[in-house]
Amino acid sequence: MTGSVTRSGARRILITGGTSGLGLAVAKKLARHHKLLLSGRKSQIEMAGALPRGAGYIVADQRDPERSTEVLLRGIRDFGWDSLDNAVLNAGVGFAPADGLDGPEAIRETLDVNLVAAMLQAQALFPLLAKSRGTLTFIGSVAHTGSATFPAYAASKAGLHGLARSLRSEWGGRVSVQVLHPGPTKTDMHAKAGHDPGRMRALFLEPGDVAAMMASAIASRRSPVTLSWLRYLSGGAYLGRRL
Amino acid sequence: MSAGQGHAAGRKPGRALVTGGAHGLGAAFVRRLLAEGCEVTVLDKDPAGIDTAQVDFIRCDLASRESLDRTLPDLVTAGPYDLVILNAGINATGRFEDISAEAHLEILRVNAEAPMVIASRLLGTGAFTPSATLGFVSSLSHFTGYPGGASYAASKDVLAVHAKGLRAVAARKGVGITVAFPGPLRTAHAERHAPKGADASRRMDPDLAAIQILADMLSGRKTSVPGRATHAFAIAGRLMPRTVTALMRRLIYRRLVC
Ligand SMILES: NC(=O)c1ccc[n+]([C@@H]2O[C@H](COP(=O)([O-])OP(=O)(O)OC[C@H]3O[C@@H](n4cnc5c(N)ncnc54)[C@H](OP(=O)(O)O)[C@@H]3O)[C@@H](O)[C@H]2O)c1
Repeated sequence: MTGSVTRSGARRILITGGTSGLGLAVAKKLARHHKLLLSGRKSQIEMAGALPRGAGYIVADQRDPERSTEVLLRGIRDFGWDSLDNAVLNAGVGFAPADGLDGPEAIRETLDVNLVAAMLQAQALFPLLAKSRGTLTFIGSVAHTGSATFPAYAASKAGLHGLARSLRSEWGGRVSVQVLHPGPTKTDMHAKAGHDPGRMRALFLEPGDVAAMMASAIASRRSPVTLSWLRYLSGGAYLGRRL
Repeated sequence: MSAGQGHAAGRKPGRALVTGGAHGLGAAFVRRLLAEGCEVTVLDKDPAGIDTAQVDFIRCDLASRESLDRTLPDLVTAGPYDLVILNAGINATGRFEDISAEAHLEILRVNAEAPMVIASRLLGTGAFTPSATLGFVSSLSHFTGYPGGASYAASKDVLAVHAKGLRAVAARKGVGITVAFPGPLRTAHAERHAPKGADASRRMDPDLAAIQILADMLSGRKTSVPGRATHAFAIAGRLMPRTVTALMRRLIYRRLVC
C-alpha cells in the first residue's frame, strides 16, 4: 500500500477521521503532493474505492481510546513510517440531546472519541513527530466556547483547545501544536448528531473551502485559528501558505 | 455584586452534596456548610478524614464508570438538594509525554466525565429544590493554561464549558449554575503538584476560598474567582493569553521538569 512516489518536499501526514467530511476533503487536497495515512471506524472494504491515490488506511475505533491508539501506532509502523511530519487529529462525533441533557453514554462516547483518544494519540505520536520537528493539529470547533444544543460536544472541544494551549507551550521548539476551530460546515456530522439545522444550513461553509483553510492553517503552524466565514471572505481558502 | 439568577443573597442551603469532600477544598466546603447548620452528603473514594456522625457518606470511585453508575441512583434519592458542589478532582504534573496514559485517562474521567454525568443526571431527575444551586469547581488554569499539567487543564476547560452549556436547561428547572475558578490553594493536593521550593504561604487558605466561593454560589453569581491575586491572573490570562501561558511555563513547567 506504500504506493506513493517519494518526492522532495513530500510530507508524511496522518489524518484521523479521514473517511468522510472534512478529514477526507483535506486528504484529497493534500494527496497530490504528500504521503497520506488515514484512519477511521469504517472497514478496509468500505474504504477501498474511496481513498485518495496512494493513501493508506487504518481501522481504529476511538470509542476505545487506549486500544485504538495502539492500533494506530502499529498501523503507522506497518506502513513503514518511523516519523511523521503532520498529525491531524480530526475524528469527531457529536450528539444533540433532545432535552439539552446528554445521557452517560453520549457524554462518554463524545469525550472518548473527541478528546481522550486525541490526548493519548498526541502522547503516542510525540516521538514520531519530534523526529521531524513536525506539527500536531487538533481539530476543535467554534463551539469550544460553549453550546446549549451540543453541551458535551462543545465541552470536548474546549478540552482540545486547552490541551493545545498547554502542550504548545510544553513542546515549543520540538513539535508545533495547534488547534483549528472550523465553523459550521456542510458535512454529514449534523445529521449523524441528530440535529437538523434547517434553513441555517444554507449559511454553512462548503467542506472543500474549509479543507483549503485547514491546509493553509496547518502550514502556518499558528494556534488557535478559527476557520469561519470571516477568514473565508478574507481569502483564507485561496491565500496563505501551502504545505 | 450579584449577577442575579433569581436567588436571595445570603440564602442558607438546607441539604447539600459535595463531591471530593474528604480533603482539601471539598473538606473546607463541608466544614463551612456544617457550621451553617446544613445537612451534608459527601461523596468520596474513601471515608478517611470524614466524621460519619456529622455527614452522610457515599463511597464512590469517580475514576470507575461502574462505580459511578452504581452510585447514581443513591445520589438522586439522597436529594433533593439546595446546593450541589461538584468539586472532586485529581492531578498529575510533569512532562505530558512522561505522565502515564492511565494517569491522563483517569484525570479526564474524574475531573470532567464524572461531574458531567452527575450534573446531567441530577438535572434530568429533578433532584434539586426550587431555586437550588449547582456549583462546579474548575480552575484558574482555564484562564492561564497550565504547561506541566496539560491534561488537568484540559479537564477543567471541559468542565467549565459544559457547565456553561447547561445554564439554559438548568435555569428552566429553576437551578442556577456557578463555576468556580480557584487558583493555588494551601492543600495537600497543591503541595504534591507544586514545583519544589514553591512558597506555600502564597497559596490561598482553602477555608477562605470555600467561604468566598459559597457566598458567590448562594448569591447566584455565574462565576467565582476567589482571591485578589487569582482574579488578577484570570483577567491577565483573558487579555494576554500567550504571555500568561509563557509566564506559567517559566513559573511551573521549567521548575517541574528541571
Ligand atoms: N461539520 C462541521 O460543521 C464541523 C464544525 C466544527 C468542527 N467540526 C469537526 O471537524 C471534524 C470532522 O467532522 P466532519 O464534519 O467531517 O464530520 P463527519 O463527516 O461526520 O466525519 C467524522 C469523522 O470522524 C470519524 N469518527 C467518528 N467516530 C469515530 C470513532 N469512534 N472512531 C474513529 N473515527 C471516528 C468518522 O469516521 P467513520 O466514518 O469511519 O465513522 C469520520 O471520518 C470533527 O472533529 C468535527 O467535530 C465539524
